[in-house]
Formats: sequence, structure tokens, C-alpha cells
Amino acid sequence: MAESTPKIQILKGAEPDLSAATYQIHDESHTIGNALRWMLMKNPKVEFCGYSVPHPSENHINMRIQMYDGLSSLTALIQALKDLDDLCVTIDEEYGKSLQNDQYERWDEKS
Amino acid sequence: MASSSSSQLPSSVYNPRRHVGVHAERVSDVASTEFPGHYPGEDHSWSLARFKESLKVSVKRLSQRSIEFDLVGVDASIANAFRRILIAEVPTIAIEDVFVWNNTSVIHDEVLAQRLGLIPLNVDPALFEFRLPGDIPYDRNTLVFQLEVECSRGKKGEIINEYVTSGDLKWVPQGEQESVFGDMIPAATNKDIVIAKLRPGQIIHMELHAIKGVGKEHAKWNPVATATYRLHPLILLNPSKPVPPHLAQKFASCFSPGVIKVSSDGQVSVDERHLRKETMSREVLRHKEFEGCVELKRIRDWFIFSIESEGPYAPEALFPEAIKVMRGKIASIRSAAEALLADSQDLAGGAGAVASAPDADGDVEMGS
Amino acid sequence: MNSQQGQNYGSNPGQQGLQQSREMEYLCADCGAKNEIRSREPIRCRECGHRIMYKKRTNRMVQFEAR
Repeated sequence: MAESTPKIQILKGAEPDLSAATYQIHDESHTIGNALRWMLMKNPKVEFCGYSVPHPSENHINMRIQMYDGLSSLTALIQALKDLDDLCVTIDEEYGKSLQNDQYERWDEKS
Repeated sequence: MASSSSSQLPSSVYNPRRHVGVHAERVSDVASTEFPGHYPGEDHSWSLARFKESLKVSVKRLSQRSIEFDLVGVDASIANAFRRILIAEVPTIAIEDVFVWNNTSVIHDEVLAQRLGLIPLNVDPALFEFRLPGDIPYDRNTLVFQLEVECSRGKKGEIINEYVTSGDLKWVPQGEQESVFGDMIPAATNKDIVIAKLRPGQIIHMELHAIKGVGKEHAKWNPVATATYRLHPLILLNPSKPVPPHLAQKFASCFSPGVIKVSSDGQVSVDERHLRKETMSREVLRHKEFEGCVELKRIRDWFIFSIESEGPYAPEALFPEAIKVMRGKIASIRSAAEALLADSQDLAGGAGAVASAPDADGDVEMGS
Repeated sequence: MNSQQGQNYGSNPGQQGLQQSREMEYLCADCGAKNEIRSREPIRCRECGHRIMYKKRTNRMVQFEAR
């Protein structure tokens, strides 16, 4: 079942040049939906971006992206994914640094 | 809660754009507005360099079971993604199949099976593969335990094996598991969990198969007891309406202990080092005499994470694990999106100058 | 919840056939002694005379999902 459904589908009604399109992302939820929406909205070329979980029992989200200047929303999506990954790496590094170098309280917790 | 090691707050904390208002019966300015085009003449587009500058992660408290750390400079959507992943998508190992050979205890098989599933195991999930429905169990996706307990009466009339605990689970190595695990014998993280109580003559004999899974499938695969965040509290005193000295003590008692300092002459001030301890009870807003003296805020991008581990992960290892899962999700979407882009470019290239739609769902006719 | 019904795993049929030919053993609810129940005979424990019997648990393995 999971094999046959593609990870991303472009829903009907997209602009031919993909300057506005809705992407259906399978096996994803608010976790990625909201984070990706935020990152896309950080792009000044994005006119509008929003996502929805159409139904709680269906395991996918719809991500709507509309672009200025007839730019491709797919390229914007890929760029946002790249940026989100950079963000994750940065947070990981900072966390590791703090854990290694910072002075913090260590305490004994009984279970 | 012991006092957290925190220092003076940076002055940028007083930037009103970072504030979420907390009022008696409502909150205000909850959503972030820092997007391109929102403020004229300001650039709020994504920049990794700027993000690196503003990001601050700092571990505050660490025990063998829990961690508290600050994540400053990220949007709620990012912090929430990590929190959700910690609860629902960081994998662990838990008992899934229960084969009952005998159970004459008063606990029903079904109830017993459900209880066994919830026992946290100390097995590193990285050593295992997921076993999907229909997959054949083998040594890289299934861990086998034996639970065989018989209750009896001893010579002096004492009851032997009155309690069946998680410590009675006996690991049965399969295939190459014995060499893979070495000294790390798979068992419950807590050996004292009571699974059932027996009377003399009663017996429990079952085989248990544990597999890898994630919390969104069933809570037994949740690696944390709790994973939460809260926003850093902030108390702003109004300089043009100071708290009357004779009410200073009453004012201080409206907040968590240590948050408000009262000087010998009744002057009230906020102790920034202990501000994070404020519970934001809003008690101060109930008193007419303090109206206009104080504003309660939270800092919108300052997340105080608190994670309690309950399973194989050390508490400090959970957050990096969540980041790993997040990056995995991003990578899988990205490769799908890139494949989609390649497809659409092939289509556009093949159709030449004709304005044919590079539409992946194939609904658009190719004009030629 | 529907996955909670225990499924009987097919054990070897030879053993099953053997058991059916033999008399079923029951346990006395009072003293726990093994008893046999025959038709037209009163249900009564040989040891203590108690009139309530329990059927024994199956010898077959039963599988459950730990959910």
C-alpha cells in the first residue's frame, strides 16, 4: 500500500508553470506541515503558503504554494526543504556544543 | 524544583516584538509576524547566517532521567515539530506479540498482554530494523523473551513468586543477537514493574516478541514520559505607576517565590535570574490595586524544553535523535520533490516550445 | 479492540484426536481435585463432594497482540 502511493503528488488545478500548486505529501502530518509552511513563508517570492490535514484518518497533508512573478513553486518547495535541513543541522550543532561546554546543573533523580 | 542555573537576561528580551501578552482572561500577539512583506522596509527572508547568530541552545539541568534546556530564536512551528517527533516518531523497542502457553493467574491473557506491551525495554533501537506487517520475524527485527513463573508455597509456608515483575523477563537470543548485544543483556529498564500477582499453584508461561516501532502507532513505543516546552515568562513593571511600598509584600506574593525582590524601603523589582520559575498564575491581575503596575508577557521564541526519558535513550540523547528523524523526513520529501522536478523538466523538454503543462498528475493534455 | 480476540494456533491434530477420545478432566472449584464428568452421573467432587467444577484451560498456545 505504502509502496504504490507516491510521497508527493501535485493535485489537479495547478498552474501549468507550477506558479501555484497544491502538493499532497503522504505519510506526513502537522510536524512537517507547519515547519515547512513557516520556511516557505520566509521566502519573499512566495505569495501565499498554507497547509491542511484534510482528514485525521487520512495520512497525508495538502500544501498550497502560490508564487510571485510566475516562479515555480516546486523549486521554492525544494529550497525550503534545503533551508529546513540547514536549520536542523544548526540546532543540532548548537545543542551538542552546549551539552559539551556549558556549565549546567546535574542532579540525581530517583526513579 | 531546585533553582535553575540561569543568569541575567539579554536586553533583546525587552524587544516588544518578541512578546506574547498574557492578560487575565486572554492572550495577545501569539503568532509571529516576522515574514517578508509584513514590516515595510524590513527583510525577514530566511538567512542561515542570521539564524545562526540569533539561535541559542543552552542546557540548564540534566539528570539520569530528564533534561531541561532552552531553545531560543526559533519559530513555534520548529519547536513543535521536535516536540511532536519526540513523542510520536523516535523509535523504540516494545513487546508486540504474546504467545500464551499457560496462564492460570486471575489476570486475563488480554490484560496481561497489554501490560507486557507497555514495559519499557533497554534495547538500542538502532540495532534493529522495522518489521512491517507480513515480514518474517528474524534476528534483526525481533527480540524474544520468555516469561515462565510458577507460584508455590515454601517449606515455612511462605509464598514463592507471589509477584511476577518485569525482572522475570528472560531474553532468548536469536541468531547473531548474542554477539551483537554482548554484555548489554536486553531487559526491562525497570526490573520492579509488577506484571501480575499469583497464588500458590498458579502459573504464567508465555513467549514474547518485541519489535521496533514508533509512538504514533502505539504509545508503548513512545520513548519519553513527557516532552514539553513552555515559553519563557517575562514581567514588565510600569515605571510610571510603581507599586506602593506598603503593598510590596502582597505584590511579591502574587508571583512564584524569588521572582520579585522587595528592597528594605519597599521598592519592587524583578529578579531576572529566577524569572523562569514564574508559573504565570496571573494572580497579580486579580487585584485592583495593582492595575496598570505590571504587564505579564512570554517570550515568543524562547522555548524551555523539558524532556523525561522513559526507555533506552539517555535524556540528553533524545533531542538529537528527534533532529535525526526530522532530517530523515526532510530528506525523503526532498528526494520526492526533486524527482518531481526532474519529471516536469523532462516533460517540458520533450514537448519542445509547446506550452504543455509539466503536470505530474497527467491531467493536462499534451497539445501537438 | 478487534485484534484482541485470541487466535488459536493450529497445534498438531494427532494430539487433538487423542484428547477427544479420552474423558475431559475438570477441576473442583472448592478443593481443586481432578474430576471426570460422565453422563447420567451427578456432578460431584470425588474428594469433597462439592458440586461446582471448572473446565481446564486449553493446552494449546494462544496468541495475543500486546496492544
